[in-house]
Amino acid sequence: MDLVLQLLFTGIGIGAVYALVALGFVLIFRATNVVNFAQGEFSMVAAYLMVVCAVDLELPYWLSFIIALAGMAVIGAIFNLGVYYPLRHRTYLPVIIATIGASILMANGVLALYGPQPQVLPGWFETPGIQLGPVYLDSQYLLIIVVTIALVIFNYWFFEHTMIGKKLQATSQDKEMASLLGISVSTMIMVTFIYSAVLGGLAGLLVAPILFVSIQMGSTIALKAFAATIIGGFGDVTGAIIGGLALGIIETFGAAYISVPYKDGFAFLVLVLFLVFRPQGIFGERVAEKA
Amino acid sequence: MTLTRRGFTAGLAAGLTAPYIIGSARAQGGGTIKIGMCAPITGPAAEAGKYATGGAKLAVEAINKAGGILGKQIELIIEDDQTTNPGIVLAFSKLAANPEIVGFLGSIRSTQVHAMAPDVMKLGKPVMFGGTDPNLTKLGNPWLFRFRPNDSYSGRVIAEYGVKNLDKKKWAVLHSTDAFGTAGGKALTEALGPLGATVALDQGYANQSQDFTPVVLAIKQSGADILGSYFTFENDLGIFARQLRQLGVNIPWVGSPSIVNVTALKLAGPALYGTYGVADYAEDSSEASKAFGKAYRDAYKVAPDNQSSWPYDAINVLATAIKNAGSTDPQKIREAILTVKKYPGAEGEYNFDKNGDGLHGYNIVKNEKGNIVFDKHIEFDN
Repeated sequence: MDLVLQLLFTGIGIGAVYALVALGFVLIFRATNVVNFAQGEFSMVAAYLMVVCAVDLELPYWLSFIIALAGMAVIGAIFNLGVYYPLRHRTYLPVIIATIGASILMANGVLALYGPQPQVLPGWFETPGIQLGPVYLDSQYLLIIVVTIALVIFNYWFFEHTMIGKKLQATSQDKEMASLLGISVSTMIMVTFIYSAVLGGLAGLLVAPILFVSIQMGSTIALKAFAATIIGGFGDVTGAIIGGLALGIIETFGAAYISVPYKDGFAFLVLVLFLVFRPQGIFGERVAEKA
Repeated sequence: MTLTRRGFTAGLAAGLTAPYIIGSARAQGGGTIKIGMCAPITGPAAEAGKYATGGAKLAVEAINKAGGILGKQIELIIEDDQTTNPGIVLAFSKLAANPEIVGFLGSIRSTQVHAMAPDVMKLGKPVMFGGTDPNLTKLGNPWLFRFRPNDSYSGRVIAEYGVKNLDKKKWAVLHSTDAFGTAGGKALTEALGPLGATVALDQGYANQSQDFTPVVLAIKQSGADILGSYFTFENDLGIFARQLRQLGVNIPWVGSPSIVNVTALKLAGPALYGTYGVADYAEDSSEASKAFGKAYRDAYKVAPDNQSSWPYDAINVLATAIKNAGSTDPQKIREAILTVKKYPGAEGEYNFDKNGDGLHGYNIVKNEKGNIVFDKHIEFDN
């Protein structure tokens, strides 16, 4: 039982990380109908910004955190203007290829600027974790879980109860109709990219103290997050969260009880099963409507 | 004196030919002995490349200061291998096109040495390298010479130290599932049997795992009293080390060289305190290692590592071989390298065997609060 609880905690913690990145995927997909393959690199770039501020320049942790997220907002805006906007009237394919190109550019740009050595980023808390009975709770994982819950609530409020959230929803559902109603579609898409980049960055900042800061940190998480979005139902915010958590738990238990080397395999096995038997995902009616 | 037409012609001819005559005289008499080196100047290992070229240059400068070899100075010609296989093949072909180069330094990466091996065979000149895949000296390629102990020794050293020095018989073996980790884990498991130790857990993991909780819990449940590991990437090692300590596992741990590398120490911090590692270069392991460490620090203001020690040894052994052979003929140099015995290098004592392996043992070092301290050297006869 102790074992199960420990595995469950870790599974939820790592699942929450996938969920955060998956959220960024979903928001951009809903707004633009394309998958942003540079979403993982947003996490990586934010983590490096944080290392520069908090470790190299020795700024206070909270200030570095804000600077890194603000930096991601700028990068999100540049990303929209440079990658999505010029191709917005084309089919989804050139845009997807452009996002892949942008991810390669970001990874190698950081490599050129910062070098290949992984970096250490201290966590938010002095105490690494607490022992709760038989279960060890890593404080950074606890933080990640709390932030994920907070974000679910925030997203609900933002999309359902604010004007800008409703405008974003309208844009994602029908761009022509939205623009007829006087909503500036390109502004809404800009907001989406900025928000997704900040979300991706937030995931990167939260996970960096656990996984260290490296060039490939983004791509490994993004691949799982992508699987999580499909399992949850592409385009569904709740689905992304549930999909991420499910994936984290499945792979942790799969590794513990079946095979460690095939840990990544379980995640993708579940993905394949979903693609075969329920391609719209757990919550995904919307995909069929958009396809 | 009037300038006659004949005199003018003779003077012109002498003037035109003089540089060639003088040049060819220099090539036969003075001049330099050229050594080519492929090193990662760009690409992911560019940082390591600085250490490699630094070590080689240090050896060249010392030899030249002492008068060179065969009355000539050594000249080092470096080409960028871009840290890739195509890169090193290109770099080597550039160097090989220069007929004056008598010997070469290859790579510390086994895969790159595999990539350049066919061209080395075609050229037929000696190439020193640092890759540790045991197969590299079994390719039937007589021109490859290894300046680090190969991986078949690391498994035996980990097993021997754990069983004989730490007196632990119930092992958990943890290794990456890539080529390096699988071979290492197998070597360690095979070495444990004859020593009377048992393997309670033989656990592979995939590179770039984000979480090691299941692995740590498996180690805990296996009841192993010692851990032996082969980690390929430092970030995996760092995540695992932290989770191992967090979940309260404090059994002795002897790891492959990555456990004592600078990046791993930085990432894992206190989680690696008290662990043991095998290391081919350990500064306090011998007088020659200490001397190299001091010379390197004086020259570059940083501590050297195995990236710089093997090229240093390679240049020195190659120079010694050329001196002993009294010639730059490739076949004679080859024979002279193979007769090198008891040569005190920075990495250890070189005794070349017929395959071209120079070293046959490893150092065991201990992490004492982040400082890597030499513990003992374990050498094998075969």
